[in-house]
Amino acid sequence: MSQASKGKLNYRCPACFMRDIDMDMFFDPDKKEYYCLRCSFRGSEERVLELNEQARYRYKRLKMRVTDFGEDNEPPVFAEHRRGEQ
Amino acid sequence: MSDNIRKIMPDNIFAVNIIHRIELTPEYSLKALGKKEDTSQYKEAFDIFRFQQGCAHKYGLKTTIQMTYSSLFVDAAVEEALRDSREYGDEIGVSLLGLPCPEFKKKYKTEDFCIWMFDEETKKSIIDDVFGLFHEKFGFWPESTSSYFLDNVCINYIHEKYPSVKCAVAACWEEGPKAYHTCNNSWYTFLDGGTWNPWIPSKINSHCPASSAGDDAGIVAIPHLSRDLLACFDGNGSNFGTHPQNVLRGMIYYDDNGSVEYPYLYNLVDQYRHLAKYNNGYSYNMMYVGPGWLNKAGRWECPYETLAKSYDDGMKYYGKLKKEGRLLDLTMSEFAGFYREKHPDYKTAECALWKDILYGSDRSLFWYADPSMRCCLDFNQGGAVIDMRPYEGRIPQRVGIGTENVFDASYPYLIQMNYRAGYFTHYAGAGTVKSAKIRFRGEEADLCLTRTAATFERFEGGVKLTTNPVTLVLGGKEIVVQSVFTFREGCASIETERRILSDLGGEEVEIEEYFTGAFGTTEYQRPMDRVSFELDGQKMDYKYKGRYLSTDKRDVKGRVEIPDVYTVIEAEGDSDRMNLQEGIAFSPVFHIRQFKSLKEGAMKTCLRLQKEN
Repeated sequence: MSQASKGKLNYRCPACFMRDIDMDMFFDPDKKEYYCLRCSFRGSEERVLELNEQARYRYKRLKMRVTDFGEDNEPPVFAEHRRGEQ
Repeated sequence: MSDNIRKIMPDNIFAVNIIHRIELTPEYSLKALGKKEDTSQYKEAFDIFRFQQGCAHKYGLKTTIQMTYSSLFVDAAVEEALRDSREYGDEIGVSLLGLPCPEFKKKYKTEDFCIWMFDEETKKSIIDDVFGLFHEKFGFWPESTSSYFLDNVCINYIHEKYPSVKCAVAACWEEGPKAYHTCNNSWYTFLDGGTWNPWIPSKINSHCPASSAGDDAGIVAIPHLSRDLLACFDGNGSNFGTHPQNVLRGMIYYDDNGSVEYPYLYNLVDQYRHLAKYNNGYSYNMMYVGPGWLNKAGRWECPYETLAKSYDDGMKYYGKLKKEGRLLDLTMSEFAGFYREKHPDYKTAECALWKDILYGSDRSLFWYADPSMRCCLDFNQGGAVIDMRPYEGRIPQRVGIGTENVFDASYPYLIQMNYRAGYFTHYAGAGTVKSAKIRFRGEEADLCLTRTAATFERFEGGVKLTTNPVTLVLGGKEIVVQSVFTFREGCASIETERRILSDLGGEEVEIEEYFTGAFGTTEYQRPMDRVSFELDGQKMDYKYKGRYLSTDKRDVKGRVEIPDVYTVIEAEGDSDRMNLQEGIAFSPVFHIRQFKSLKEGAMKTCLRLQKEN
């Protein structure tokens, strides 16, 4: 095979990301795929992006904006975040 | 200054530091992208600095410019800093980050770049070089400095030789084994155990807040990042901070028809603002983004445009808050003066009742830090203590080449539920945690398995947390229990009250208040041979045999002495009986257990930390 290189935008391994490890992947130009030196993950750019979306499953408040932190013993109040608003 | 601030912000004061450094050889550019060092990166790094400055100024914010050693050799950088200082009121300080440059490498013949990791003589020599060159270029001494971490050797030396310095970026909250693991075990910044918000460091150990004027190292320290106090306790610290590119690194953003949105960043800033409620109206936030995070080649799957947008948006939000009169932007030295005015008594505790704003768990943690201890209660586990650092021990740690800790600068824990398990363990062993077990009609429940929340109350000299009552079902009967935790500032103690709120109909419930402890800075226990126990005239040295000391007497104190961390743990209270137990090799911890049987009322205990010897 020809020599692998860092791909564009330094894609990290999605499998390692999900276990809190930031592993930049390398790009194999022959197979047109990214691969991880640590966990053996391999996948196309499309697959990496798809898994990165899945990695966000933990962030249930990803699209929510706090409107009130509430009483001490109550959870914060959230509303849907609106594009471009702060 | 106070009067002016009160005019602007009569109620709560949200103080913000914005810091930019001119780092002409950013490590990310060289290492992460595999590029060789060349002059194009100097230009790129300089452009990034200009971009960051431009964002802050555009939104009416002033900054502190931290000149790196490498940037001091570049006249254009010096001129640019002076111009921004004149035009925008920015402060010019000097950083101990960004040391690597040809001049540095030629003189010190090393690839090391972390000031706290050098031997003591070299630390002082580098500080003299950096400060000396700064004075040569600017004609005045800096009032602020920065690093990822500054140990007491560096801080004491800077204060002695360069007393103009009032403020320093001196640690990065909970950057330790987690950061190391996240970086594929290659990032040696072990700095766990300090406070999340600014503090006045002790002369003896810079992690500990000073206890008195005599212990005051002479500067105000600020953290390198304002981090999420819940997400960072478990996850990668560098994903959850008011560092916009951290939020991108954590993938905490989404695409809304072509617009990258990250409400979490604003929620995080707002939660820091909310902490004013627990700190006499004072709250703090900071942003200190190195140029490598705004690399033109992109980073963390994001193109440069997204990196830049997130930085601009961060500044925009600060600017919006300032415009609304809800944010006070201060330079680092200004902040030091402000902080000292707000903290005339060294013992004032920093408190944070922190709520989950990311995972949707409704979990809340209470963080407490004063000169005697740092502690975290988890109300998702009934208020269990899940982290404890014995500042009372004032551990005179030395760090750097030539010491016993070349790179590990973390302040040791007695409890750390993630490094050393908490309630949950696999089949055998025991995890570090402080909680209580309730027994009734032959059944038992641990309050760690009760999910609750708490209210906060500050009183003269301390704070109190009271949980929402929880209901246990034991032997077919519902028993309602409430916990109250009291911290008295500077006293290194936690008073715990377990109230039985149900009518037991004359039957007895047994409460076991327990502390399972260990010590260390990582996941791995250091040898425990020097630990010893004392209870009711009995003594025992740690031999990994699981032996006990027990007493049925009331009003006795149990003591566990841990010379390795200069700490003695003392337990007392209104218990009927008590035992202390050593661990075994498979479970190298120690146990303190206090028991009380009661038909009504409450059990009150106190756990106190003392300096060993």
